[in-house]
Amino acid sequence: MEKRFELNASSEVLSPFRKELRQILEHAGWEKKTTNEILLAVDEALTNIIRHAYGGAAGKMTVSVMTTDDRIEIVLEDKGKKFDPTQVPSPDLPRHRPGGLGVHFIRTIMDQMIYDDQCPGGNRLRLIKRKAKI
Amino acid sequence: MKIQLTNQGDIHVLELSGELDYHSSPELREKLTELTAKQASKILVNLGGVDYMDSSGIATFVEAFQKAKRYQGRLILAALTPTVRGVFEIAKLDSIFEISSTVAEAEKCLGAKA
Repeated sequence: MEKRFELNASSEVLSPFRKELRQILEHAGWEKKTTNEILLAVDEALTNIIRHAYGGAAGKMTVSVMTTDDRIEIVLEDKGKKFDPTQVPSPDLPRHRPGGLGVHFIRTIMDQMIYDDQCPGGNRLRLIKRKAKI
Repeated sequence: MKIQLTNQGDIHVLELSGELDYHSSPELREKLTELTAKQASKILVNLGGVDYMDSSGIATFVEAFQKAKRYQGRLILAALTPTVRGVFEIAKLDSIFEISSTVAEAEKCLGAKA
């Protein structure tokens, strides 16, 4: 299954998009705890686009979701300023100052976070998670 | 997200419900800043109705917690849903915050006065 979303780079879109993604994950048979974690990881990646790539200015972001029996791949694209989350250093935990946890959440939750540094005029980030084998 | 502020004796109780994310956290930050600005000594945040929280929510609580600590105030988080507790655990912050499993337990910890 493949689905593509085009979203405004605005915090208002986060909650409705999470509802859509939850439905996809549930339909693809992901368990509730992992579903919640994937929602968090994608939400953090979108928040980074809004905050860092567009700096709060208007813009578009697209999310492509591809599911197979054993994995999900989410590709996030924007036309904002370059922001490579894979270069953000891991924070020392527990962190006593506010902020700096979003990328840590993505890294912890997803199996792979791949930044396309060749993406022309914007950012392209791939997030991959495989189902745990029982 | 809905935020309701009440007083239980000398405790300021913030009851939250809905989703706490980058969109809704500024409203919570504003309420907590009002409380820490007047050096509220006992703040109880009831998270029982919060079914989603991201790093913006965490950052809001870390900021308020640090501010309260500076004037020897206390901030307790209560009744976390499993999803929200999971987020604190990924951030390894479950050992930093005062967390109570119920609102009644949090009130007891804070020594509620009628």
